[in-house]
Amino acid sequence: MNNALEYSKKHGIAIITILLFIVLALTTDGFFTERNLRNILDQQSTILIAASFMTIVIISGNFDISVSSIFVVSPLFALYVENATGNIFLAVIAGILIGLAMGAFNAIVVTYFKVNSFIATLATSFMFFGLGYLISDRSLMRPMGDAYQQIARTKFFDITSATWLAIGVVIIASIILTRTRFGRNVFATGGNQEAARLAGVSVSRVQAATFILLGGASALAGIVSSSRSISAQPSDDFSFVFAVLTAVIVGGTSIAGGKGAIWRTVAAAFFLAFMSNGFNLNQIDPLWQRIILGLVIVIAVAIDSWSQRKNA
Amino acid sequence: MEKHNNNAKAFISFDKVSKSFGATKALINCSVSFEVGKIHALVGENGAGKSTLGKLILGVHKHDSGSIKIDGKESFLSSPRESVKQGLVGISQELSLLPDRSVVDNIAIGRETTIGPFVSNKQTLEKVEAVMEKYDLYIEPSRVVGSLSVADQQKVEILRALNTNARLIVFDEPTARLASHEADQLHNLVHSLAKSGTAVVYISHFLEEVLKISDTITLLRNGEKVRTEPTSKETKKSLIEGMTGRDAGNLFPKKPKINEKSEVLLKVKSLSRANEFKDVSFEIKKGEILGIAGLVGSGRSELAHAIYGNRMPDSGSIELNGKEFITKNVAHSIKNGMAMVPESRRDQGLILERSLLENTSLPYLEQFTSWIYGLNKNDEYSEVDDSCKTTMIKHGGLEKEVQYLSGGNQQKVLFARAAMNKPKLLIADEPTRGVDIGAKQVIYELISQLSKVGEAVLLISSEVEEIIGMAHRTLVMSRGKVVAELKGNQITKSAIMEAAFEQD
Ligand SMILES: Nc1ncnc2c1ncn2[C@@H]1O[C@H](COP(=O)(O)OP(=O)(O)OP(=O)(O)O)[C@@H](O)[C@H]1O
Ligand SMILES: [Mg+2]
Repeated sequence: MNNALEYSKKHGIAIITILLFIVLALTTDGFFTERNLRNILDQQSTILIAASFMTIVIISGNFDISVSSIFVVSPLFALYVENATGNIFLAVIAGILIGLAMGAFNAIVVTYFKVNSFIATLATSFMFFGLGYLISDRSLMRPMGDAYQQIARTKFFDITSATWLAIGVVIIASIILTRTRFGRNVFATGGNQEAARLAGVSVSRVQAATFILLGGASALAGIVSSSRSISAQPSDDFSFVFAVLTAVIVGGTSIAGGKGAIWRTVAAAFFLAFMSNGFNLNQIDPLWQRIILGLVIVIAVAIDSWSQRKNA
Repeated sequence: MEKHNNNAKAFISFDKVSKSFGATKALINCSVSFEVGKIHALVGENGAGKSTLGKLILGVHKHDSGSIKIDGKESFLSSPRESVKQGLVGISQELSLLPDRSVVDNIAIGRETTIGPFVSNKQTLEKVEAVMEKYDLYIEPSRVVGSLSVADQQKVEILRALNTNARLIVFDEPTARLASHEADQLHNLVHSLAKSGTAVVYISHFLEEVLKISDTITLLRNGEKVRTEPTSKETKKSLIEGMTGRDAGNLFPKKPKINEKSEVLLKVKSLSRANEFKDVSFEIKKGEILGIAGLVGSGRSELAHAIYGNRMPDSGSIELNGKEFITKNVAHSIKNGMAMVPESRRDQGLILERSLLENTSLPYLEQFTSWIYGLNKNDEYSEVDDSCKTTMIKHGGLEKEVQYLSGGNQQKVLFARAAMNKPKLLIADEPTRGVDIGAKQVIYELISQLSKVGEAVLLISSEVEEIIGMAHRTLVMSRGKVVAELKGNQITKSAIMEAAFEQD
């Protein structure tokens, strides 16, 4: 009994998500169908890819707003290379490399010039968005060959490659965070920088690595998304990073740093996805969707923070 | 209930109060009362429940059973706010000020004088100054708190308490971070508070101090009250026996002999860093314990950080094992056999929200890591477990967050960490701050064991007894310079104090 309570306290967000799943499965026609669930998985893949590594950045005590801009720019560069060479392999590598490079740029501004990461990545966002217009010559870009769209759409066991990629990234990020020395150093850095430094952790190197990894992940998410829509377009659209941050924070990863987990982010991403899927299936007016969604997020976060609280 | 509880002066009394945290029983059926105008000391080993008792008074925790009466009326102290309303305030074990705000802001926080909806800075300041004057405790109100010395910061906390018309003040190890002349000042202040009718609860591990200033002493052991007696009936010996349940014995281990021919491990040559320390030279042999005494702020910790590679010296050089040692960063120093127990366990030592396991192994993860499998938690677990056993940490599992350990046990975690690497040079900065007698003995024993197997120890301490009891040789620092070097039986309290206060 006591154990069950402990357990449910620790896993608040996961339990809320499972409950929502059960409720929707019982009440809403068309929710608990293979097709619908496969769709949800496919739609969430880009957010999961970026949010996994965003979780790591936030645990280490930073913030990264530039995820949106990397998400926009990387596929443009990938398509640029694809158009020039016709080689999709090269294109993907190039797209991810430019993402890593942008992550490295963020890392330098934050760890070397010691600019607050929120401000720093807001500023670099504008630079990166600008770069996107430059690369694409301000226009929509399309792949030359048919191979590009297969990046996200190939099916293995009836599940899209986008989903498989997301599963892979989530697992890798979890392993990095929980099973490696780097992961420990991330928690230590976010928990108490000075103590981490005195224990021999190279705090700036750890933080730099988190930004670079997130840059790569955001680029991959962008490529998957462009492969799905078979095009990419320059924009100044910040919405992707908000979706990513919402998942991380609703999951209960502390924005103060030092606390959090990837499974929490994954659970929250599905919680949010189930919500909006449930709304659509029940044909709820989008006007009300917003209000209810906002309310439910507040309630979910409140329950989770109550359950994470120290022994009452 | 005891007789003197019915005394009209009893201000707050506990009757069979218990408090548990999960499986840990922090306080068991504790009955005790605190009286107006009396200094009531709580003593006991680390984890005995002293801070817990204090926190119940302050409304930080709620008791599980029993009753708490204030002025004879049953009271529910359900929040810190409620306690403050009742005039119950605390000076915490770890200071809790806003470092970027001014003295007056910190003192008046939450009690600013207002005119309509607006804070009146002028009246707030006047009120704060009136309190300062009343207790003859002055600190420049416009100073930023972060720039004050620890002793002055503590005064700010005390002033904050006084500004709320406190009727009872809980001091949780207030002198643990003070130099001895600062401690004397605090004692005077506590006395005058009691005289003016404030009830004082005084938690401390310094038994001499407790015997000197308190009127009543309550002994706690493993959450249970052993006894409450007037101070005149207790002695240092009786207290130690009551706390630990065993004979007092010797606090300091016998100093191990150092071999005269033993090699020099560390040689520091005219090391300087602007505004911190200047032209410091000394050497330590293998197996030697070198003390560094001096006042807080004399540059001792800064020197330690420069040797440890956390700050770069401006000039001078360091030799380790006869070879020039260029400090790069902390990791490099650790690899070369250094370990440090830093001065402040909360700010510089521990990741409070992470487990005992992770905190202990943090600097040495490399040895448990392989490329293919990542961290080998089994190896890590068993080594950390060993280390925690040798340092006698009282804990409820290696997976528990260190923030739930009592203060003294948190301190031992830093030793468990340092001991894991079998360091060649241990730099211990105030290693027994906030640690009980039993744990002190353990830490001293550990330090002496290290030196016996030929490792060198740099012991920085503001406790003169500790330096006298442990060090083979000691430097005294004052304003960033080494002003004296004392050997063997030259190391006396008066010699150290004289050198430390010397003006040049
Ligand atoms: N918030 C908490 N959660 C869990 N356990 C706690 C908590 N606070 C205290 N404890 C446990 O309760 C016991 C008593 O702790 P307490 O802090 O009162 O000891 P103490 O006498 O003040 O020791 P010290 O001299 O080391 O400060 C310890 O075993 C401690 O680990
Ligand atoms: Mg305590």
